[in-house]
Amino acid sequence: MKQIRVLIGKVGLDGHDRGALIIARALRDHGMEVIYTGLRQSPEQIAQAAVQEDVDVVGLSSLSGSHRSLFPKVVEALRSRNAADIPVIGGGVIPVEDIPYLEKKGIKKIFTSGATTDALASYIKRLVSSESISPKKIAHIGIAVRAINESLPFYQDVLGLTVEKVEKVDSEQIKVAFLKIGETRLELLEPLNEKSSIHRFLDKKGEGVHHLAFEVDDLEERLSEYRRQGIRLLNETPVAGADNSQIAFLHPANASRVLIELCQHQGKEGE
Amino acid sequence: MGKEQEFSANKQEWENAVKKTVQRYPERQKVFETSSGIPIDLLYAPKHPQEEYQETQGFPGQYPYTRGIQPTMYRSKYWTMRQYAGFGSARETNQRFRYLLEQGQTGLSVAFDLPTQIGYDSDDSMADGEVGKVGVAIDSLHDMETLFDSIPLEKVSTSMTINAPASILLCMYIAVGEKQGVEPARLTGTIQNDILKEYIARGTYIFPPKPSMRLITDIFAYCQEELPRFNTISISGYHIREAGSTAVQEIAFTLANGIAYVDAALASGLDIDQFAPRLAFFFNAHNQFFEEVAKFRAARRIWSKIMKDRFHAKEPKSWKLRFHTQTGGSTLTAQQANNNIVRVALQALSAVLGGTQSLHTNSRDEALSLPTEESARIALRTQQIIANESGAADTIDPLGGSYYVESLTDEIASRAWKYIEKIDGLGGAVQAVEAGYMQREIRQAAYETQMKIESGEEIVIGLNKFVEEEQQLPDLLKVDEELEANQRKAVQQVRIERDATEADRCLNKLEAAAADPGINLMPYILQAVKAYCTIGEICNTLRKEFGEYNGI
Repeated sequence: MKQIRVLIGKVGLDGHDRGALIIARALRDHGMEVIYTGLRQSPEQIAQAAVQEDVDVVGLSSLSGSHRSLFPKVVEALRSRNAADIPVIGGGVIPVEDIPYLEKKGIKKIFTSGATTDALASYIKRLVSSESISPKKIAHIGIAVRAINESLPFYQDVLGLTVEKVEKVDSEQIKVAFLKIGETRLELLEPLNEKSSIHRFLDKKGEGVHHLAFEVDDLEERLSEYRRQGIRLLNETPVAGADNSQIAFLHPANASRVLIELCQHQGKEGE
Repeated sequence: MGKEQEFSANKQEWENAVKKTVQRYPERQKVFETSSGIPIDLLYAPKHPQEEYQETQGFPGQYPYTRGIQPTMYRSKYWTMRQYAGFGSARETNQRFRYLLEQGQTGLSVAFDLPTQIGYDSDDSMADGEVGKVGVAIDSLHDMETLFDSIPLEKVSTSMTINAPASILLCMYIAVGEKQGVEPARLTGTIQNDILKEYIARGTYIFPPKPSMRLITDIFAYCQEELPRFNTISISGYHIREAGSTAVQEIAFTLANGIAYVDAALASGLDIDQFAPRLAFFFNAHNQFFEEVAKFRAARRIWSKIMKDRFHAKEPKSWKLRFHTQTGGSTLTAQQANNNIVRVALQALSAVLGGTQSLHTNSRDEALSLPTEESARIALRTQQIIANESGAADTIDPLGGSYYVESLTDEIASRAWKYIEKIDGLGGAVQAVEAGYMQREIRQAAYETQMKIESGEEIVIGLNKFVEEEQQLPDLLKVDEELEANQRKAVQQVRIERDATEADRCLNKLEAAAADPGINLMPYILQAVKAYCTIGEICNTLRKEFGEYNGI
C-alpha cells in the first residue's frame, strides 16, 4: 500500500508546537510520511504546500483561539487550488462548541486535548483509505418490473437505449436486463417465482425504482468497515450477482429508505 | 576558621540580617504558632554545624541561597500574587486589572495578543484571526494609555510578557508613567525580554539572535540609568517546561540562557554588579511535588555559583536568583476541568515551599479557553488559601533538611551542571539554540512523556484513569468577534490623528540608529512611541535593518 502523506501545519501566529511536533513524530512512527510546516503559516502557504507535496491529509494545530477564523480559510484555499479532495483535520485548544461550526466549514474532524496519537493515526488511515475506496460510480439503477418483455418497448423504442444482455440470477431468483446509459446502466428486474424479493416488492409497492448499485473496489473490505461503523447489512458476505459481479445489499434504514447494492465486477479493476 | 566557628559566624550574620530586615519589614504576626499552641520558629536548621550545610544550603539570604534569598522570607511578606491577564481590547483588560486589584492582587501581569508579541499592527494581514485572542491588543501608546487608565503606576508593579518587541512596550510604559506624572526611576515591574527561549520553545521571535541580543543589552544599559527599579529581563524556563522538558532541563537551559545574557551584557561594556541585580527568572511549577521544590532550591544554588565563581560578581545582590513561578499550564486537562483546581493548588504549594518571589496560579478552564472571571478568582483564592490558612509560609524553607528533598536538590543540581557544561562545550546558549540542541532534547522528552501517558505508565486523572462521561463547564470566555474589526479601525484612526511628519521623522532616525550597533536604540524607540508610531511601524523599521528569523 502506498505510504500515507500528511502535512502538519501551524496556522496563524501561535508558537506552541509541542502538540504538532509530537503528532508529526507519532505519525512517522505509524509509517506515514509527515511534512511539518513550522510556525506562522498562512492558510495560503499551507494549501500551497499541501498541493505541492501531494499529501493525503492536512492536519492543523492552533492553541491561540484563531481556529474559527483560520481553519476554514485553509479549506477555502485548498478549494481554490482544486484540491478540495484533500481532507483537513485539526486539533489544539478548541472549545467543544466550536466543533460543529468548523465541521460545517469543511473541517473533517477536530481532535481536542487528550486524544491519543494512536487514535489519530488510525483515524487518518481510515480517512485516507475510505477516500480511495469510496464508491466510484453508479453501476446501475435497478427497476422492478412485472415482465421484462412488457417494459422493454418504452426503454428500447421510445428512449432508444440498447439492451446489453439479459440473464438469470439464481441467488436472487430473478431475470435481469441491462440497458446501457452513459457510463451507467438501467437494470430491469423480473421475479422468476414467488420466493423472489422482487416479487414481494411488486406486491407491496408495484413497479418502480428498486435500488441503486454502487461500484466499489474491495467489497469485503467495505462491508467490514461499514459493519464496524454500525451500518446494517442485508448480506454479511458478498454473493454472486449479475454480469459476473459480487454484490451485497445494505439495509435501507441507513440510507433514507433507499436500498443500496454494492457491487464489484470481476477482472475490471482499474476500469 | 574551623567549621564550627564558620557555622556560628554565619548563623550570627543571618540573625543580624533578620534584625535589620524586620525593622523595615516587620513580621506578619506577633506570634506564630500551630493550632496546638506549638511555637513556630523563623527557621529550623541543624543544631550543630554539619560539614556540608554551609556549602550546599546556608542560611536564608546567604550564599548559596538554597534556603531562600531573604533572611525572613514569607514571615515578613508573602510572595507577590500576580495573575497573568489580558484579552480583547485595552479597555476590557483595564477593567479586569482593576477587578483583580480590588480582589487583593498585589501586582499586574499583562498578557499581550500574538500580533503585539510578534510586532504586527492589528490591521496587518498577518494578524488575521489573532487580534485580542491570547492577550490584549496593543498597537500604539493610545492603547497603552487605556490599558493603565486609573491605575497609578507608582503604586503597582507590572510584569509584561513581552519579548521580541520588549523595548517598545517598555517605552510605552515609560510614556504612560510620564503622562501620569510618574518619573521613570519610580516605575517597578518586569519585562520578560528573554528571546533565547523564544527560539527554543515559545516561538514569538522576530529578529535573528544577534540583533535581538543587542536590543536586550540596550535595555539593560538604558534601565541601569533611567529605570533602576525595573527588572530588565525574566529569564524563563516556564515555556521550556511547557514545551515538554524535564525539571532538570528546565533549569539547566534557563540558567545557560542566563549565562548568555550576562556574557552579552559584559561584551557590551556593562558592569556585572550594575545589571545582575536586575535579572529575574521565571519557572514552572509542575506535578511532581518534591522534585519541583528541589528544583527551585537547586536553581538558586547553581545561579549563585555561576555569578560568584564564573562571573566574579562582588555584590551579594548579584548572586541571588529571584524568580516568578507559574503553575504548569500543560498539566491541566480539558476533561473534568474542576480537578485542575487541585492540581494548581499542589503546584502552587511547591512554588511556595521552593521560595518563589511571585506566583501566578492557573485557572481551571485553561485547557479549554482563556479563563473566565470566576475561574481567575478561584485561582487567586488558591494562593490566598495557601498563604493565609495552610501555615506553609510560617517558617522558612520548611522542607530544608528533609533527606529526600536535599538529596533531590543535589541530584538535580548535578544533572543540570552537566547540561550547562555540554552547552558551554557547544559554544554557549546562542550557538546551542542555533544548532537546535535544546530544541531536540525537549522534543525527545515531550515525546517520551506523551507515549507514557498513552500507555498508561504515567497517569493523568480524568484522561487515562478515572475517566468519566464528559460534562462541559458551562461558561467559557469568548472574545468578541467584532473586536478585531474595531481594533483595526482604532489603529487607523491613530495614524490619521497623529502628527505624521513627526512620526516619519522618528522612524527615520530609528532606522539610521539601528544601522549602527554602537548606538543604544532605547531613546529612539521612546521618541517614536511618544509620536504614536505603532508597534508594526517600529518593528518593520527594525526588520528592514535586522532581517527576520525563520525558525526551523
